[in-house]
Amino acid sequence: MSGWYWRRCFLAAALGMGCLALPASAEGEWLFDVDAGVLYDNNLTRAQAPADIRGDGAASVSAAIGSFSALSGNDGITLAADLRAEAYWRFHGLNVVGLGGTATYRHKFGVGLDAPWIVGAVTASYDDYQGNVRTGGRYALRAELGRRFSESFDASFGGVYDRRYAKYDQPVVPGISGKPFELSGASAYARASYALNEELLLGAKLEVRRGDVESTARPNLEIFEASSAIAPDPTFGPDFFAYRLRGTTDTATLNGSWALDDRSSINLSYSAERTRAYAGLDYRSWVATISLAYRY
Amino acid sequence: MRIFWSLVLATIANVAQAQNAELAASVVDEQGRPLADAIVVAVPADGSLRLPARPRDGVVDQVNKEFTPKVTAIVVGTPVTFPNNDNVRHQVYSFSPAKRFELPLYAGVPAQPVLFDKPGVIVLGCNIHDWMVGYVYVSESPYFAKTGSDGKALLADLPPRPYVVRVWHPQLDASEESTRQNVDASSAGRLAVTWTLKLKPEVKVRRAPTAERSGRY
Repeated sequence: MSGWYWRRCFLAAALGMGCLALPASAEGEWLFDVDAGVLYDNNLTRAQAPADIRGDGAASVSAAIGSFSALSGNDGITLAADLRAEAYWRFHGLNVVGLGGTATYRHKFGVGLDAPWIVGAVTASYDDYQGNVRTGGRYALRAELGRRFSESFDASFGGVYDRRYAKYDQPVVPGISGKPFELSGASAYARASYALNEELLLGAKLEVRRGDVESTARPNLEIFEASSAIAPDPTFGPDFFAYRLRGTTDTATLNGSWALDDRSSINLSYSAERTRAYAGLDYRSWVATISLAYRY
Repeated sequence: MRIFWSLVLATIANVAQAQNAELAASVVDEQGRPLADAIVVAVPADGSLRLPARPRDGVVDQVNKEFTPKVTAIVVGTPVTFPNNDNVRHQVYSFSPAKRFELPLYAGVPAQPVLFDKPGVIVLGCNIHDWMVGYVYVSESPYFAKTGSDGKALLADLPPRPYVVRVWHPQLDASEESTRQNVDASSAGRLAVTWTLKLKPEVKVRRAPTAERSGRY
């Protein structure tokens, strides 16, 4: 194992342990979130050619345990350890168990529910996929500025820098990296949500991401020439390869949340995504999810 | 001898009390359902108010990250304490014109109560937990009561005289003044007064988890 791997494992573990330590202080507030549901992704391969497109559904569960600590009336820190797992119906190479941590700092510019706020967050995790090519660590840095305009309506915008590492190097072409899932990119987004009544909350989010994208397809000269990394991707078949390209991804998400009570809700989400990459690659995909969320 | 005079005084007090009037208030919504947390206030029509010299302290607790009770009624001039019975800290505030105040982040019981010296409705919030909302109704009259889950409230020991009676509720979709009723309680006995209120939906910051899981507070 290389040094970077252990460093990232250490970072994820440190974040997780930190969140467990914080509630020991008198002001720490335990948090526990769990979310279980199903999802369907119509283009898991992120491919353009119809023959290369593969869709599948999955069962997913995620949980976070941690603490919130108010440093002052305007500042607070949330530390949480995150666990997530997905199990796909057909493409078992995508089955994943991820463990990580999140540290979030929030500052409110004043007193009152309509006071603007800013958030800075660091998320790190290690994702162990059944198919090795995707296995590795990742982290993301997020900054978000927002405001609640009324009890019903709030909006925010922000930016994310994300970095993903690959544990296994599986080069197939001399001189070209065998880590197509070693990716980095930067995103900007805007989101808003509106509560129609006590139960129903509707939300929308628009996001643009510029950076590395991954596409899995059968051998293709145009994609090959534009790729900076290539590796076999047997999850979708013996003749499929994963390619890393530069590209821009636009994502629009709509979601609805029905509160069952103060602690639980049923959530629906639909995301439509379009990616344009250098090789003329232009693919679209959508992901729909339904889940039950519980918060203690 | 002392016992004798005590008995005489007690008897006189009981007789005076028996001569007082009672107002049995009943508040329902437009569907006829009993309305809890409505405040019924009776103000003597001649404006002769005798406020207590030292009102009993009020208490608005914080339990499970909610204000308890959600609606508190007090007479003007009442000091109110805001004990925090959660194991997390709260920062209670109000921007209401009748009382603007802020209790900096605290646990336990704040050293000083807050004096509510103007009549009106005070909306309470917590700067840490945006979904927390509570109400303090400060009455200019000492004759008031809050309805229970049966929508009923009893205003006892009203000195016999005509009153203007009104009702307030956090979701009242009209002015409080529009609920005024003139009630002649000049003679002892129980009078019944009813209201049917049009309510607006309760609007508060949602506490339940959402589809977007970023950021808890």
